[in-house]
Amino acid sequence: MNVNTETSGNSLVVALDGRVDSSNAAEFNATIENATADSDLGVVLDCENLQYISSAGLRVILTTAKSLQSSQRKFVICTLSNPIQDIFVISGFDQIINIQGSRAEALATMEA
Amino acid sequence: MEEEQRPRKILVVDDEPDLQPLVLQRMRRGIRRGRYQFLFAGNGVEALELLRAVGDIDMVVSDINMPQMDGLTLLEQIPSVDPNIRAIIVSAYGDMANIRTAMNRGAFDFITKPIDFTDLQVTIDRTLEHLAEWRSVLRARDQLVSVQNELSIATQIQQSVLPTRLPQGIGFHLHASMEAARNVGGDFYDTIPLEDGRVGLAIADVSDKGVPAALFMMASYTLLRAAARTPDAGSTMQKVNDLLTETNVVGMFVTMFYAVFDPVSGSLTYANGGHNPPVLLHEDGTTEQLPLTGGVALGVMSDLDYNVKSINLTPGDTVFLYTDGIPEAINGDDEEFGMERLCTTLTAARDRNAHDLTDYVLKDLQAFVGDTPQFDDITCLTLRFTGAVQ
Repeated sequence: MNVNTETSGNSLVVALDGRVDSSNAAEFNATIENATADSDLGVVLDCENLQYISSAGLRVILTTAKSLQSSQRKFVICTLSNPIQDIFVISGFDQIINIQGSRAEALATMEA
Repeated sequence: MEEEQRPRKILVVDDEPDLQPLVLQRMRRGIRRGRYQFLFAGNGVEALELLRAVGDIDMVVSDINMPQMDGLTLLEQIPSVDPNIRAIIVSAYGDMANIRTAMNRGAFDFITKPIDFTDLQVTIDRTLEHLAEWRSVLRARDQLVSVQNELSIATQIQQSVLPTRLPQGIGFHLHASMEAARNVGGDFYDTIPLEDGRVGLAIADVSDKGVPAALFMMASYTLLRAAARTPDAGSTMQKVNDLLTETNVVGMFVTMFYAVFDPVSGSLTYANGGHNPPVLLHEDGTTEQLPLTGGVALGVMSDLDYNVKSINLTPGDTVFLYTDGIPEAINGDDEEFGMERLCTTLTAARDRNAHDLTDYVLKDLQAFVGDTPQFDDITCLTLRFTGAVQ
């Protein structure tokens, strides 16, 4: 698992690579918590190179979404591969988290 | 912590009576500051008696040549009193043969005669330091063992709440299995007898693993049992979700599929909260995944509606409920078992009853996985609808 953070326009873009499961979910949580705490920008989570995410990883995304929401910051996930998209659809999380097809589309919703 | 405060008890064993006042005099600072307390014995036999009588002596400083029992024999005897006592041997300068024997018999260190008291103190302090570290390692190991015991008890409790005698009746067979991964997990299944002979069927998977997941699993399991009194799958899920969300401060969630099965008509009315869709296996071997109902995993957000869907089972149909531990089980080449393979396996097992079909799938999965360790709980619940006897 690799997490890279950069600022793009008025958004913090967090790119998540590799596999997230219960062995590294705590590390993922700490990384994303640190990255988002240092800023008050909205967050785009780019999953283009995410290969697998277990329910432990989904829990981190959910916690992140909730904490950003409570401070009125936007949160968008983008560029999900088909298997990852399926996980979001099956768990129903696509209904409570804004999911966009590409980073460009995600950034566009941040401008709105 | 108070253990750190108490003076370390050091037993000096020597047949030379002049040594006692000398030690007390030269080490008086440490004694006055409460760091050391010295005890004395004139030979190995006396030393062993004292070790047994006092009980909490930390270390022994022993001469080699003594009447009755020498220092080398004493070294062999010390572990029978307490294997954690450390010993320093005092030997004549250049007596390498005895020093080697002493070290081989477990002495921690040695000093030579005539005794250099600065060296003695350094050696004593070094030994006591080692002893403190050793004891903290032992404590950590004991704590680890006790945590592991608690975890294995938690796993047993989890397993024991799950029903082992499933409802049986005319027109259907049920069978279930849960194999917990090494960590305490959060899967469960349930079969709940409802009014009019209907049966509630549930399968669920709590996010993450370990003790928090186990606690959340117990809460989910209990709430479902309480909420399942209404025969409506959707409102049951809604109630469980609201109760779970209300008390959920840690952001956990549980995916759950819940169905109400009517063995008389063969209808299966279900609501899904973010769980993998069960597989419907027909008598001719064809399979399909039950259409999702669009519900969100439970514990995430309150006031959600859970839509229901309904299907009518035909005699010979089998419904296979499972957790992602099955399709996501990996083999030595990091390949997933996958839905396709699961469906193929189910097709091959189509003529079996619920019990044998479940066993067949689990054996096939085991053959696929081989020696690769199991990362996730593997749980499934099989319903076979045979239809009422004509």
